[in-house]
Amino acid sequence: MNPVLIRLTQRYISRRRLQSLLFVLGITLGVAVGVAIDLANSSASRAFGLSVSSVTGRATHQIVGTSSGLPTDLYRRIRTELGLQTSAPVIDSAAQAVDLDGRSLRILGIDPFAEAPFRDYLSPRNVSAETLAGLYAFIVEPNTALISTALAERYDLQPGATIALRTRTLPEVTVQIAGLLAPDDALSRQALDNLLLVDIATAQEITGTPGFLSRIDLILPEEFDLSRIEAILPPGAALTTPADQRDALDQMTGAFRLNLQALSLLALLVGEFLIYNTVTFSVVQRRPVIGILRSLGTTRRQVFFLILSETIILGVVGTLLGLLAGILLGQGTVRLVSQTINDLYFRVNVENVAIPGISLVKGAAIGIGASLLAALIPSYEATHTPPAGTMQRSGFERQTLRLIPYVTLAALLFVAGGLALLQISSITLSFAALFLVLIGCALLTPLAMLTTMHLLMPLTNGIFGVLGRMAPRAVVRSISRTGVAVAALTLAVSVIVGVSVMIGSFRQTVTDWLDTTLGADIYISPFNDDSGDIAVDIDPAIASDLQAIPGVEWVSTVRSVTVTAPDYPDLPPVNLVAPDTDVTHSGRRFKWNAAPGGDYWGALLAGDVIVSEPFAYRRNISRENNTIVLLTDRGEQSFIVAGVYYDYTTDQGNVLMHASIYRRYFDDPFVSAIALDVAPGVDPQAILQTLETDALIGTGLQAQSNRALRDNVLTIFDRTFSITVALRLLATIVAFIGILSALMSLQLEHTRQYGIMRANGMTPRQLRTFTLIQTGLMGTTAGLLALPVGLVLALILIDVINVRSFGWTMDLTLAPQPFIQAFAVALAAALAAGLYPAWRSSRHSAIQALRSE
Amino acid sequence: MIRLVVVALLVAVAVLGGYAVLNSGPESGTPAARADLLLPIAAGDLSGFRRAVEPYDWRFPDDHGPHPEFQTEWWYYTGNLATSTGRHFGYQFTVFRRAATTEPLASDSEWRTNQLYMAHFTITDVEDGRFYQAQRFSRGAAGLAGATVDPRYRVWLEDWEVTALDDQARRTAITAASSEAQIRLELEQLKPPALQGDRGLSPKSDAAGNASYYYSLSRLATQGTLTIHGETFTVSGASWMDHEFSTSALSAGAQGWDWFGLQLDDQRELMVGQIRLADSGIEPAFGGLLIEPDGSTRPLASSDFSIEPTGTWTSPHTGATYPAGWTITVDTGAESQLMLVVTPLVPDQELIEGAIVYWEGAVRITGDATGYGYAELTGYESAMRQRF
Repeated sequence: MNPVLIRLTQRYISRRRLQSLLFVLGITLGVAVGVAIDLANSSASRAFGLSVSSVTGRATHQIVGTSSGLPTDLYRRIRTELGLQTSAPVIDSAAQAVDLDGRSLRILGIDPFAEAPFRDYLSPRNVSAETLAGLYAFIVEPNTALISTALAERYDLQPGATIALRTRTLPEVTVQIAGLLAPDDALSRQALDNLLLVDIATAQEITGTPGFLSRIDLILPEEFDLSRIEAILPPGAALTTPADQRDALDQMTGAFRLNLQALSLLALLVGEFLIYNTVTFSVVQRRPVIGILRSLGTTRRQVFFLILSETIILGVVGTLLGLLAGILLGQGTVRLVSQTINDLYFRVNVENVAIPGISLVKGAAIGIGASLLAALIPSYEATHTPPAGTMQRSGFERQTLRLIPYVTLAALLFVAGGLALLQISSITLSFAALFLVLIGCALLTPLAMLTTMHLLMPLTNGIFGVLGRMAPRAVVRSISRTGVAVAALTLAVSVIVGVSVMIGSFRQTVTDWLDTTLGADIYISPFNDDSGDIAVDIDPAIASDLQAIPGVEWVSTVRSVTVTAPDYPDLPPVNLVAPDTDVTHSGRRFKWNAAPGGDYWGALLAGDVIVSEPFAYRRNISRENNTIVLLTDRGEQSFIVAGVYYDYTTDQGNVLMHASIYRRYFDDPFVSAIALDVAPGVDPQAILQTLETDALIGTGLQAQSNRALRDNVLTIFDRTFSITVALRLLATIVAFIGILSALMSLQLEHTRQYGIMRANGMTPRQLRTFTLIQTGLMGTTAGLLALPVGLVLALILIDVINVRSFGWTMDLTLAPQPFIQAFAVALAAALAAGLYPAWRSSRHSAIQALRSE
Repeated sequence: MIRLVVVALLVAVAVLGGYAVLNSGPESGTPAARADLLLPIAAGDLSGFRRAVEPYDWRFPDDHGPHPEFQTEWWYYTGNLATSTGRHFGYQFTVFRRAATTEPLASDSEWRTNQLYMAHFTITDVEDGRFYQAQRFSRGAAGLAGATVDPRYRVWLEDWEVTALDDQARRTAITAASSEAQIRLELEQLKPPALQGDRGLSPKSDAAGNASYYYSLSRLATQGTLTIHGETFTVSGASWMDHEFSTSALSAGAQGWDWFGLQLDDQRELMVGQIRLADSGIEPAFGGLLIEPDGSTRPLASSDFSIEPTGTWTSPHTGATYPAGWTITVDTGAESQLMLVVTPLVPDQELIEGAIVYWEGAVRITGDATGYGYAELTGYESAMRQRF
């Protein structure tokens, strides 16, 4: 490039420092949000993968059983009859470390002698005699455990110290630390952090599962004949591969992560408008210069690259800063994301943020790509107007006004295209459609501005007089600049509206659902706190004991377990819920109910099942396709689905089966939770008191009132959306910067005009008012337009995205609050962004301002 | 412009630097860690175990079975076999039992036990000069490993086992397989159990209790198949079985031992051994046994024989230097001493995979008599005390 042109660029950037800064900031924020979310997602995913591989090790296959487990004798047969030396028994359970902040630990029960091919923690191969002797002690001493050095350091635990645990069956059991697992690297350190490695005998003793294994890990040679194993599998056991299981589990969070990614793109979309705005300004402002350059013989190419290179330089700086900020921001988002995954899906501990190069490459591509894309139109535009034309300001604005019909037409095409795309049932395409609709709506901004200014002129005239007439016209006259700023603000505010309405509707739906579902007065479940919840097997005798408490009218129990559905190997295992009483008192709401006379409880008693809506959605269950196959202790059994009910406990869905049917097919006497109905006239608080001070002592169970349980559910619900709320805020900040940048530029451009106004007798105060009316009008336009756009966004989120991501139907709840709030945000942002320009313009003396010409 | 480029470069350096710092460590793979077991060695307390003090009252076949009141026990099978064309092989099949505590703990878990088992299986292919070794560990629980005489004598670790084919356990079968080699052998006992030491009480030092109960089945006619890398050989020959149980047999000064089980072509067998002390001396309490063709035995005091190494072999695996080749001179009570020249059939018969490194190999006997046998050399890599 010509050195003169380079100098020109340099001069321009250094003269417009603030604008350049805002440009960089826009890119930085957009990239940072995207990268932060990407990092959080990939860190969570990686932590999950690690925690899986830390316990599956190098297994190629696994034999898994039903909730009651696999008989140990199967392992003996595999070792002795099949002679499979690369096999290892595993008990995989969870416990809560009572004294370690209630932290939940993963109990991994293993046979050290079988471990070497699978996991490297304990390998009797090539170890010293001292280690072997230590290994013997680990095997023969009951309740000895190995923990990671990280966990030991965190709680200052030395070998020989004890840890009190609450396990699936024992309210309290103590294990002694026999040694520490010293990880080879940071990666293993993370994976091992919550591991409690015990001998398999200890594992059986403390989890109360004598005679059974959770699974058998295998390393099978390529040519191994799988039927040899399948031939000796007892009913309920299945041969699977860890990769399948990991994929299925990882897939659980797939939709959740995609939603976050899409939301982070929304911030970038807003940023995109901002960049476009800034570049347009730099072009528009230099139209005379460009005109002169062109007149002096500078080629179109040179001018085009002049503008493009400016953008690229700022874009690169913004992108790099964005990557840096994203990495920092990622440390915060990863906590939010992993909290949500813990609440909704499975336990995963994300201790540190992994930074995959691909995340950074993606972030950089998005940032630089967005800058280029935004700069392309203005650059082209600047170079394709005849030199004389570029020197004329008014000509450009007239041209912009003439373009409005076309822009509006394009807007309608975008919206129509988006709506058409929504018809295709794909989550990714649905998001693409959502973006098309949003961009379309943003393109409606110029038209909306013209209309609003026209409508509001009488009003502002009435209030502010001459200034009130001038301001709307000023806005319209600079529509090429104000339009984009307002579009950015509109987008940001409509995201606020859309996401708020969606969350509000969802929350209301869940609240209503809780009202019908939580029919009992008191719920008894294992101690749960934020840091950990472990599935617990409650002795059914406890339930019968509770029946004897005076004032307790009815005791109902529910068993929930995960079972394998062989027909869907690529989906996670099925959550099976088996209540013995309908606590909803036939109040369950159904999407469809094929039970005779709608008597679903009767159908359940007869052996049918009902499934929740997400379950049906994921497996395409309908009135026609109404059977599911489950792997039971009696082998594979087929069940008829009598209906699909609304349920919001998990986005993986549930299968509901009557407890009596469950016990017929599964050798599992335990229950998972107990509910109590209190006799009429008895105060539930009194019963709660009795339970806490007497009946539940030493059981490791806690009682909660209906109200407390409901509040807990809603607390978790709200926590789940904290990341969404944070993203919404980020979009607003981006929009705020956008409108500030636009107004700053406007003000700069209008310096001369303001000089003339001042020279003609306008007071600084009036000039301030004039600026603020303009920005207020812009904010009003954005706020007004954002309301319908936000509603459309909410509808798409509720009716399309949520259904396709999670399979949940929710009722649209319209409250005025999110709309009022959003409008207020738009107006406040616009007015706040106008303050500085207003102050600056009023400070200039008329002479100074005119001199700037 | 230049300034901007500099700023951009600085930011880029910061980003890349941050990336490098935060992202150190490998990208993927299986988490690896090594347990650092710090528990005291469980074998410290021997007080509850029975010790070998008095001569033992032997009852067979029951005494082929386990003796859990003793801490340590082993069943040691070695043999020299050949195909009909004279291709020679040696094999070793050993099961070790070690109790961590005297009494089993009460538990619902079928995995809970105080008995741990280890097994070694080797094949020496003399023609190819190869030595195949494998080892296994298991606990004596969940049906995975154990020893019993109910209903018949059987010692097993998973699918490696020796099992009686008749109630008296005069005929037994051995099955073992590794990824490289396999044996399926049937053994027939030709002589009554030869009780070592004083009626089976074999002292390892002059301290009372530093002894084991020990008998040998010194000649077991053996036939069956032996498979190496998929090639199966039909073989026959003779095996030697040692069964020994004790609690802390070795004295504190013991460094290791050299043991020989020699089967002479004149149908006599000879067990000689020496316990080497740390001060380079030989433990005088430990002797040997000469078994006549009719099964009668002649105990040998340590002064009745001498074992003189004639060469050495340094292991390329462990660096340990073992004697290789001996001249063994025995005063059998006859007019002249019996002089035997013992030569390893293959130099490298060192077991290196286990926690205990030792040399256990087939040997050829020449000199005043001919035959084959097995030699066991321990404590050359490190001291043997407090081990199996």
